[in-house]
Amino acid sequence: MDDLLADFIAETREMLEASGGELVAWEADPADRARLDTIFRFVHTVKGNCGFFDFPRLASLSHAAEDALADCRAGRREPDQQLVTAVLAIIDRIALMIDAIEAGDEFPEGGDESLIAAVDASHETAPSGSLTGVKEGSNPPLHAPADAMLGTGEEQAAPYRRADAAAAQRTIRLPVELLDRVMSGVSDMVLARNDLAHRLRQAGNQPTIDGPFERLTTILSDVRDAITRMRMQRIETLFGALPRLVRDLSAELGKQVMVDLDGGDVELDREMIETIRDPLTHLIRNAVDHGIEQPSARLAHGKREIGLLAIAARQSGNTISIAISDDGRGLDEDRIAAKAIATGLITASERQTMSRDKILNLIFEPGFSTAETVSNVSGRGVGLDVVRQNLEKVGGSIKVTSVPGQGTLFSLQIPLTLSIIAGLTVDVGGHRFAIPQSYVEEIVQASARALDFTRMGETALVTFRGNRVPCLMLGEVLGLGTCEIAAREPTLVMLRLASGDLFALAVEGIHNHGDLVVKPLAPAVMRSGLYAGSTLLDDGQPVLLLDVANIASQHNLMSDTRVRAIGPMEGEAVVTADAPRAMLFTDFAGRRSAVRLELVQRIETAPASAIDRSAARPRVVIDGLILPLIGLPEEALTIARVRLLRLSDGACELLYAVREVEDAVELKDALHPVPEDPLAEAMTLIGGQPVTLIDAHALFALHGEPPLAAARPRCVLPDGEWARTILAPLVASAGYDILPEGTNDPAAIGIVFDDVFEVAEALGRALPARVIRLRDQPDAPPGCETIYRYDREGLLAALSEANRAARVEGEAA
Amino acid sequence: MTGDLLVIAQIAGRRCALSALDVKSVIEIGTITPIPRAPVWIAGITALRSQALTVIDCRRALGFGGGSDGTDWATDHRAAVVTDGGHSYALMVDSIEDITTAADEAGQVPGGFGPEWSRVATGMVETMAGPALMLDLAALLAGPEAARHEIEAAV
Repeated sequence: MDDLLADFIAETREMLEASGGELVAWEADPADRARLDTIFRFVHTVKGNCGFFDFPRLASLSHAAEDALADCRAGRREPDQQLVTAVLAIIDRIALMIDAIEAGDEFPEGGDESLIAAVDASHETAPSGSLTGVKEGSNPPLHAPADAMLGTGEEQAAPYRRADAAAAQRTIRLPVELLDRVMSGVSDMVLARNDLAHRLRQAGNQPTIDGPFERLTTILSDVRDAITRMRMQRIETLFGALPRLVRDLSAELGKQVMVDLDGGDVELDREMIETIRDPLTHLIRNAVDHGIEQPSARLAHGKREIGLLAIAARQSGNTISIAISDDGRGLDEDRIAAKAIATGLITASERQTMSRDKILNLIFEPGFSTAETVSNVSGRGVGLDVVRQNLEKVGGSIKVTSVPGQGTLFSLQIPLTLSIIAGLTVDVGGHRFAIPQSYVEEIVQASARALDFTRMGETALVTFRGNRVPCLMLGEVLGLGTCEIAAREPTLVMLRLASGDLFALAVEGIHNHGDLVVKPLAPAVMRSGLYAGSTLLDDGQPVLLLDVANIASQHNLMSDTRVRAIGPMEGEAVVTADAPRAMLFTDFAGRRSAVRLELVQRIETAPASAIDRSAARPRVVIDGLILPLIGLPEEALTIARVRLLRLSDGACELLYAVREVEDAVELKDALHPVPEDPLAEAMTLIGGQPVTLIDAHALFALHGEPPLAAARPRCVLPDGEWARTILAPLVASAGYDILPEGTNDPAAIGIVFDDVFEVAEALGRALPARVIRLRDQPDAPPGCETIYRYDREGLLAALSEANRAARVEGEAA
Repeated sequence: MTGDLLVIAQIAGRRCALSALDVKSVIEIGTITPIPRAPVWIAGITALRSQALTVIDCRRALGFGGGSDGTDWATDHRAAVVTDGGHSYALMVDSIEDITTAADEAGQVPGGFGPEWSRVATGMVETMAGPALMLDLAALLAGPEAARHEIEAAV
């Protein structure tokens, strides 16, 4: 019996929560039959259960409400404000009685009659016997209208009924602790499985064990999925109570507020829902109390009389974001700043340098509350600092943005806390870290050269699928220092953020990937903003899980407007955009010079042996292009490799040999012209040291030339098996690229059979500029410039002769 | 309070007492994984069965620096496991001495205990093993930065 009673209380509570929102929605739209049906079902169920448990007062209350609602359903009565308020009052009374029943207290006598009378007050069209029927507690008069209604409304009500049938699943009620125990049990099971997997790998292949082990793995992952879902709940359960809350608040404060809920189907960990319940309620109270103005004030400002409070939940990757926005008066930056100075949070001088967003976010600091009068609604000694604390406790965060006169937006970020996630473990600087798999787009292992790894100021860039992507060095992010070898041969983990932004994280190596059981970290560690949790590896070693989203936003890599608007980087970014930037280097004369950054294509490294100094002007072959080289010292190089700045004016390219590339810097100081040095645009100060800024115009005027292809000479061969299998290897080994017959390349040397040549000449077909003619007979007919096709020496000599002629012609051109 | 069980440990060369109710267990400390960019008084994390413990270097958490004065004391290979706010910590101390009962209430001494100690100490407590400084766990776990903020706020 006690179990039954506990079930009754729990069930009634659940329905109470759901019906609060339904009632308000119904009030807004009385024609909404679905809502009316839900509420009717609630009071009807309560009434039925009361009969079973013998709670006469509960029965009579629910009976009265059911009666009134039944009339509305039957169309005998129009639901109005008064009725809704009266029904709400009854539902509240039912809630109080349920509390008393659970606590085992006696509920104070009296008061029920007035409530019942209130429901009945506007009951003009009701049958006169209704109220007395309630008093007597006899069923027939009550059930008659309900039955009648059901009878007549059968077809009409059918759609709703079908939906109910689909939604009604068989459920059981479980204590949350039991769920938690199962959950942690499964977590430990995953750990044990990982440990076993590790040992099995060490022991080598054992077919008799591997099979069952695979099965165990599959089963475990199924169970894990189910458990995870068990803990998930739709955020609707939280949203359900909000319309009622807002309705009561706005009624109390004489305001008119419309609630717009969105994203109720987002699922969240049960515990997480409980954690955010209070913060969310607090924010809504704040918005209604302080944010939304009185109707008269709203009209005066040209706004709609009814304020809008929008609450939207979204899942993005591993976090749920909840946005609470109102269209009220917005936050008063000056008042917040004044208050913060008064309470000693900031100093007056600090205030001058703070951006609006930073000031607004001071409202989350401990000991801050702007409301001058503590009203009944908000400001009950719980401030927004507590809201933030509660959210941070579970690894969430909160930020506020506001436009004066237009409204305020609070955005909450809450982790999903799926406590088992798929992850990747990486090595860096002797440490090991985990990255949630969901962020990982791809793992790239290549040389810095292939990735086109460049440093632009403090930012490193790599080229990934033709796009320049920012690259973070994990070692630097974590302050571990970076090893040169890792920078040259990095392993890049390409991470895709929920916002769609891509960035690369350079690590020293990938260790493993698999399921990670994530446990929360101590708040002092969480505060660093780098970690989302800890996990244990197969061997029991604890490993930290990186907070990818936070690391990205700390480095301004997230193109979320909200994130971009916050933080001290904003000001700096503006400076960066304004000041011209230059690449600072030391040349071989030991002079510190700079060249404008836009000119620098990339920084090349070439072996000293690749420099060809035979001509008047030294040249280097890079990427198959012959490029002029300047800046070399007169004497021979003593170093094995030379750093080269590859400069381009768009058409021409040249290489500038430097002793050392220092950094990309901003040209903040004044530029002093140096008329006496033709190659210097100006002198300027960088970090207090004089630096010569190279005059790009003069540089390119003197040395610039379009890059010459350093490609191998090309040769067009005749068609046919013989040419392909016997001639082609010979020509290729002599250092020629083979082009298929018919390629129209004027620089290429053509090898054709004499008969083909004659035909082509006779028909006036296009032939390569230089042609080597082959004949089939060893003996040459007199007066014919042909070569016997097996005359190896003759053929090679002809090829090199033709090639020389082509080069001379090319240079003359 | 009188009769309360206390865990007596040496921290930074002083005898300190923790309520035995706070101390879940005393463990042999295994490998500690350091946490880059974490406050200096957090030595890292270590594993206890399937649980990760945050290892607190109590000396640094009090605000005593490392280096010359930090090397004066040996560190016990055992650590006290405590929980606060749902998180588990392992406290690295000089040595864990004894479990004993308090002989009286924690009381103040004239002149205080010094700035580092006053922040975390609730007072001096007489025990069967002699006088010890009763520590407030939450204050200890808050780290030395908490004190600095308070001082800054006061200024």
